[in-house]
Amino acid sequence: MAAVTPIMVSEYNPGTARSLSRLIEELNRLPGIGPKSAQRIADHVIRLPAEEARSLADAIQEARDSLLFCDPCRNLTDASPCEICSNPQRNQEQICVVEERRDLVAVERTRAYRGLYHVLHGVLSPLNGVGPEDIHLPQLFDRLRETDSPFQELIVATNPTLEGDATADFINRRLAGTNIRITRLARGLPVGGSLEFADETTLSRALSGRSALE
Amino acid sequence: MTSPRTYRALGLTLRRSPVREADLLTVVYTREQGKLELLARGAQRLTSKLMGHLEPLTLVRVSVAHGRSMDQITEAEVVDAFPAVKNGYENAARGLYVAELIDGFSALSVANAELFNLAVETLEALGTERNADLALRYFDLQLLRSSGFMPELYICVECGEELEPDRHRFAVGAGGTLCTECGPIDVVVRPLSLPALKLLRLLDRTESVAALPELAVPPPLEREVREALTATLQYWLDRRVRSQEFLETAKFA
Repeated sequence: MAAVTPIMVSEYNPGTARSLSRLIEELNRLPGIGPKSAQRIADHVIRLPAEEARSLADAIQEARDSLLFCDPCRNLTDASPCEICSNPQRNQEQICVVEERRDLVAVERTRAYRGLYHVLHGVLSPLNGVGPEDIHLPQLFDRLRETDSPFQELIVATNPTLEGDATADFINRRLAGTNIRITRLARGLPVGGSLEFADETTLSRALSGRSALE
Repeated sequence: MTSPRTYRALGLTLRRSPVREADLLTVVYTREQGKLELLARGAQRLTSKLMGHLEPLTLVRVSVAHGRSMDQITEAEVVDAFPAVKNGYENAARGLYVAELIDGFSALSVANAELFNLAVETLEALGTERNADLALRYFDLQLLRSSGFMPELYICVECGEELEPDRHRFAVGAGGTLCTECGPIDVVVRPLSLPALKLLRLLDRTESVAALPELAVPPPLEREVREALTATLQYWLDRRVRSQEFLETAKFA
């Protein structure tokens, strides 16, 4: 979807100091921050003690300047390889492909997975013109095709959306003929969900993926 | 008399994008009211009752409440999820091509039941064993017709004379076919083979996508017709068709 040009709030802020107007405008550029939210956040920031405001500005600057892509997994890190890639205790034979850094955090929180990752930083999206070369897919295929590649299983953990499924299908087809076992996260009903409100696709996938009670 | 606070509609979800913490902005092409931008509150949450119903390329029955700035979906129920279209990235890209063009050629709240039916029938055809590319070309031409941009295929748009076999050309900017004698200035004129013209006329005269004959269209002819139609679509859309480019690269990936 084309980016929406934010409304320049200074036009609506007569009598506002220039520096404050600039802060509001910059905040208004952030995703999900409208003109009113931008004003509220700006009002909050200027009321912060000077050292807290400086700390916030420094954090933004430091993150912007020091973060880089981990060479193997493409996660954002301060040093490459990242903590996960350089940890010998992790299962070196499993690799989990996720769309975004946030998804890696979500999987890590489960403590149920101890393998390695690959972060795509996006997903194939025909509507947005995002093709295989626009996300970190070539790096994934290079990683898996290295002659000494240790990977036995690739877990595709892209979101269960149209684009996520299309990306999973693309990966699966590109790796056809290799010895790597390709798996997809199970789909079905969420904990605390209700059958009554489940859509037919989710429910049929939950049925086909049913498991024996232990 | 005040208008009702809620309404129901049958629609095809075209796209959605996250807004705020957990909401979705959903674009739905409805039979009754045309294209609508609707807010689905909390629909990004895993436990949301709306989430699975609002996937793109889903025929869905929605209940909508009028909102101050934007109408909100209160209930959604899948009528057809077109699972065969979503099975595989190439077919998904074809489905999203349909969605992108319906979105691009419609204005908000302008109903066009013919266009709605065309989109649904095309998605149904993509899920069958039919020639998917031919179904998309049928969609292209009928979309242009339903939207009022149908190119002329039978007479010269300049002199009005009926076209003679192999004495014709095609100019998007002029509105369709030209005879070889006429040459309007300031428009790009492209050659169009006789088989390509015949295929376009066949697509024009076929009543529905389901009635398309099973044709084995040679790849060069398919490409020629696709390029002529894509040029026409992009001329009126005034931008590239992103999913078309994706489809072409994905086929060779």
